[in-house]
Amino acid sequence: MAEVDSLGLALRPDELRKIEEALGRKPSVVELHAFDAQWSEHCSYKSSRHHLKKLPTTGERVVLGPAEDSGILHLGEHRGERYGIVIAHESHNHPSQVVPFEGAATGIGGIVRDVLCMGAEVIAVADPLRFGSIEDGHAHQRYVAQTAVDGISAYGNAIGVPNIAGDVYFDERFDDNCLVNVVAMGIVKESEIIHSYAPKGADGWDMILVGKATDPSGFGGASFSSLTLDAQDEESNKGAVQVPDPFLKNVLMRASYAVFGYLREHNITAGFKDLGAGGIMGCSAEITSAGGYGADIDLDQVNVALEGLAPEVIAVGETQERLIWVVPPDVTPHVLRIYNDEFTLPQIAYNARATVIGKVTAQPRYKLRHRAETVMDVDIEFLTGTIRDELPYEEPQVATSVVDEAPLVTGLQDDELLERVLAHRDVCSREPLYRRYDTVVRGATVIPRGAADAGMLAPVFGSAMGVALSVAGNPRYGRLNARAAGEHAVYEAVRKVVATGAAPIGLTDCLNFGNPRNPAHLGEFVAAIDGLAKAASAFQAPFVSGNVSLYNEAASGKAIPASPIVACVGAIGDVSHAVTSRLKHAGSVLYFVGSPQSALGGSVLIDVLGRHDPRLPRVDYELARAQHALVLEAAQASVLRSARSIGNGGLVVALCEMAFPSLAHGMKPIGVQIDDSWQWTHGAVGRLEALFGEAGGFVVEIAPEDIEAFEGLADDTEGVHEIGVTVEQPVLSFDSEAYDLRRLHHLWSTPLAEVYP
Amino acid sequence: MSKRIAVLVFPGTNSEEETLRLLRDCGGDAHLVHWSRAKLLPQFDAYVLPGGFAYEDRIRAGAIAAHDEMMDAVIDGAQAGKLVLGVCNGAQILLEAGLVPGTGTVRRPTAAFTRNGPVPHFICRHVWVKLAIEPKRSPITAGLKDGELIPAWAAHGEGRLAADEAHLAQIERGGHVAFVYAHRDGSVDASAIPNQSALGAAALVNAQGNVLAIMPHPERDGWAFNHPDRRGRAGILEPSGGALFFRSFVMGVNR
Repeated sequence: MAEVDSLGLALRPDELRKIEEALGRKPSVVELHAFDAQWSEHCSYKSSRHHLKKLPTTGERVVLGPAEDSGILHLGEHRGERYGIVIAHESHNHPSQVVPFEGAATGIGGIVRDVLCMGAEVIAVADPLRFGSIEDGHAHQRYVAQTAVDGISAYGNAIGVPNIAGDVYFDERFDDNCLVNVVAMGIVKESEIIHSYAPKGADGWDMILVGKATDPSGFGGASFSSLTLDAQDEESNKGAVQVPDPFLKNVLMRASYAVFGYLREHNITAGFKDLGAGGIMGCSAEITSAGGYGADIDLDQVNVALEGLAPEVIAVGETQERLIWVVPPDVTPHVLRIYNDEFTLPQIAYNARATVIGKVTAQPRYKLRHRAETVMDVDIEFLTGTIRDELPYEEPQVATSVVDEAPLVTGLQDDELLERVLAHRDVCSREPLYRRYDTVVRGATVIPRGAADAGMLAPVFGSAMGVALSVAGNPRYGRLNARAAGEHAVYEAVRKVVATGAAPIGLTDCLNFGNPRNPAHLGEFVAAIDGLAKAASAFQAPFVSGNVSLYNEAASGKAIPASPIVACVGAIGDVSHAVTSRLKHAGSVLYFVGSPQSALGGSVLIDVLGRHDPRLPRVDYELARAQHALVLEAAQASVLRSARSIGNGGLVVALCEMAFPSLAHGMKPIGVQIDDSWQWTHGAVGRLEALFGEAGGFVVEIAPEDIEAFEGLADDTEGVHEIGVTVEQPVLSFDSEAYDLRRLHHLWSTPLAEVYP
Repeated sequence: MSKRIAVLVFPGTNSEEETLRLLRDCGGDAHLVHWSRAKLLPQFDAYVLPGGFAYEDRIRAGAIAAHDEMMDAVIDGAQAGKLVLGVCNGAQILLEAGLVPGTGTVRRPTAAFTRNGPVPHFICRHVWVKLAIEPKRSPITAGLKDGELIPAWAAHGEGRLAADEAHLAQIERGGHVAFVYAHRDGSVDASAIPNQSALGAAALVNAQGNVLAIMPHPERDGWAFNHPDRRGRAGILEPSGGALFFRSFVMGVNR
């Protein structure tokens, strides 16, 4: 094993033995690195794949489930063409903890390529973020939180893809392992999808490497992300992070769109795949083996940034901004012309270009040549398909301690509770952060960041159909109960999309957990999948793509809270019916659509009180489905002036966030007056549970003239409560007290403005 | 026959598609011209430089693109009286090329859109801009009403007008400030300015009135679907809001 250790590989002794047995000889250095990358958790999902099978992945809307670089959902038809939404979700957690700017930027860069290579135009990104505590004494965590956002902003803005959804939480359990999850979305005609595999009849076709010149950056990235982070290795870890080049990517995307056009025009089927973990080797092996082929690659043909790179660095290094095409040889000159001459790649970045690096072979072997020597020659199936690692796990212990069932007594006045909740790090305004993201480039944005719970686009020019995108995943729940956290992640993501008037049609996930070799951590992972599967099935929203990020654990053994993070795609036939969350008029009637529960566990209220309560809200799926159907029908009937889903901080926070935009200069202030809670809860829950509980639901604003229509739609729906009205005074009033909306706005809008000035 | 408008694509441009579409929806005969086709540019009648990060905004936003081969045709055209519009990065390029404000005796930059203040970060924020010149002062704004308000999105890291005092005075006196930042009710004060731009300037125009550089993007609030909350009676796919400005530009081109 000395050799493996000295190469800095993560391969385990039993894996090495398996390789030696299969090859019948000692593997070469290049082969060792290749297996190290390909058999890492990051590439192989060896300890997670069999658990992921439990997620529902099929349904009427599924055009392509989780098999390739992205999943595809059917959005709708326009002028006889079917359009699909391409969606991918990934993490760049380890790199962002070590080098936050580059780590986060390359996260966006990588996920965008996953969508691009399906033949899609990239139309949006989203960024669920989990950072460590940013309070005094956490200077590094604060630096990570600030700098990762700068990286996302710099990259996404430059390539011209709007950031339309995201969330952020701060929790000391992320101190040593931040989570930078990224989602990218694209639009494609379903008849023009390009697959991540060598198509039928591809024997002898060219493999064209496109993009940045290969350099030593990102060498060992796949296995690096499949190890726990050790502070002592900080310097060597930095070398495993890739270097972003959004300028080159901007051009690369546009050139690829031009290639799509050429292929379409000439009716040519090709394969296209992003280079991610495992570099040229990983990509070329997967794109060929997925089609049942082998590959023969000449590393000397690779355009490099400097001479003298070792073959293993060229083969598995993870230089950014590269993709591989598989095309018939007579098409090759046209692809090269578009990238190299029309879009002048060699003039955009040093030695960037499109270049032929090898051939697809009928023989299912994976071969690499370097300086006229064969440096790798293995069975391609063995390389890409066989590794599996069934690790033991334990059902997580969920705290079931007997708790006081009596209504919560806080000992605090309402105004102080309100202040603390609104200023809480999980509640306060995210605007200072997302103001740094371009949310409207491409001119297709219907609902930008911050205007509703989900972002929305009209992605097909000339068509009124829209697509919504939301993200969710509450670490306060993850700390308490992994299974419930999975259920709630789906429920919240779905609810957020519904609040905009879009019907949820599919999901993606990124499962961020600790070390799978720790049975307790793997147990949380397994339980979370169970929760995700249950909720996704109940809402008939299949998972079409996803990602697993394990080993989010410091060398000290301190792991992150269970963090199943979900993105939800929604479809709306006509964006005229899109609903935003700002209150539109005084004199409207407010309804609460939902069912409060006596379960404040995991709530912001419990957190600000410094209490512990393990009772998370249950998800009543039947009820939730009926309530979602009501909100969607009401949106469709144009009777919703505004709507907001209830989440962090509960009903009062939702009401404040609906009212705050009316305080902007040149707008008429709109306040909120809520009836005493017992009038609409009928004593089913206490007043704090009604006002601050996070069991879900919506607030909707209805014009007086639409009350009849709304109540007609709501007829048989349980949990529809008229709770109050909107007023002309800038106040939030409940339980006979009126609070100054401007002061509440100040409390809510300042905390993150200090972190993101 | 309507006049042909070239929408220039530099390496790093990112707003070409929506700019092209809105020009077309406003009646313009617009076409994309990529940097490797610079030779085609002289045959066009007007030029639009869209937003983005041309040449990665190295040195200063617009500084390198101002010397790109594509600018030969733009500069010749501007001097021959063709209409030229730069939006965001396109505006920065026009300033770096010295076409706007054009307060010097020779063509040379005399002002710049530079790092935002008070914090030097990229910001993305919905804004309103108000016409600050006589509409007829420029053929590009001639289709607008006096003091017309246009909705747009500021989305830039370098949008603050900066120049030395003498040039700022010239810019103000010479009526080069085409649009100022305003509130949605038309009132103007410091809180409406997203980036501490000198003179509250959102757009500058040259002395002849045929070259205009605007920092915020009217095309990103250019259709009714971009502002479902205030769409009024417009059909959701209709040009609306920021399209007012683009329509005026196209009218100026086709006149």
